[in-house]
Amino acid sequence: MIGVAKAFDPGTVLLAKHAQHVVLVHFPIALFLTGVAFDWVARWKKRKALAEAAYYNLLLAAASTLPVVVTGVLAWQFQLEGERLKGILLLHLVMGWASTLLICAVWWVHFRARRRGTASPGYLRVVECVAVAAVALTGHLGGFLSGVSGG
Amino acid sequence: MSRRVWIFVLAAPVVAAAALLISGGRSVTASAGQAPASSAEVKIDNFSFGPTTLTVAPGTTVTWTNRDDIPHTVVSDDKVFKSKVLDTDEKFSFTFTKPGTYGYFCSIHPKMTGKVVVQ
Repeated sequence: MIGVAKAFDPGTVLLAKHAQHVVLVHFPIALFLTGVAFDWVARWKKRKALAEAAYYNLLLAAASTLPVVVTGVLAWQFQLEGERLKGILLLHLVMGWASTLLICAVWWVHFRARRRGTASPGYLRVVECVAVAAVALTGHLGGFLSGVSGG
Repeated sequence: MSRRVWIFVLAAPVVAAAALLISGGRSVTASAGQAPASSAEVKIDNFSFGPTTLTVAPGTTVTWTNRDDIPHTVVSDDKVFKSKVLDTDEKFSFTFTKPGTYGYFCSIHPKMTGKVVVQ
């Protein structure tokens, strides 16, 4: 019962060492992958409602990258005292930044197309594919580091 | 020379050698047991420190070796010692001079904990 009580204790949850990044990172991953899937189905089926859902998923995905980046950098600074990274940790950091930029870029292109009232450009499909691959690789590295996968 | 004498002459060096060997072995074992251990090892593998609790004499140097595929760190609870990030097969050593109990953890995976008892 102590474990259950701790799981609902705000102090334990908020002050847990290095836990926030690991929790928050799931939001942009899920929102972005869902947004891209909706976008592709919306194009294929020509469903405007799905395109709207895709846009808002991508918007929230882009917004939720901010706390993920902040908590990731804080974890690096506090837990590892800003030590120069190497190996998997460095690769995770680089891929994390790349994924963040790609997620924001995908949302930005969608946002621009909506503002202009035009269809999103064809090259966006390629960017979305690259972004999904980057997010998957970053997530895999993160899971490997935290021991969820691989280790 | 009688047959008994021949047996004695041949057997005596063998018995003497065996006696020396046994007594010598005992003395080596005894000296090894009396001398304080000056180094000890902790293996990091599969997200755990092994042994979890290590008891050593003061002055012992403990070496942690990362045998895992994942980077780990070794950080004492009260910041007495702290390693850099250890990649696979990298090592970190610390010499414990004062008696006490030193809890430590991996700062990347805080659920990984261990203890060094110096007494």
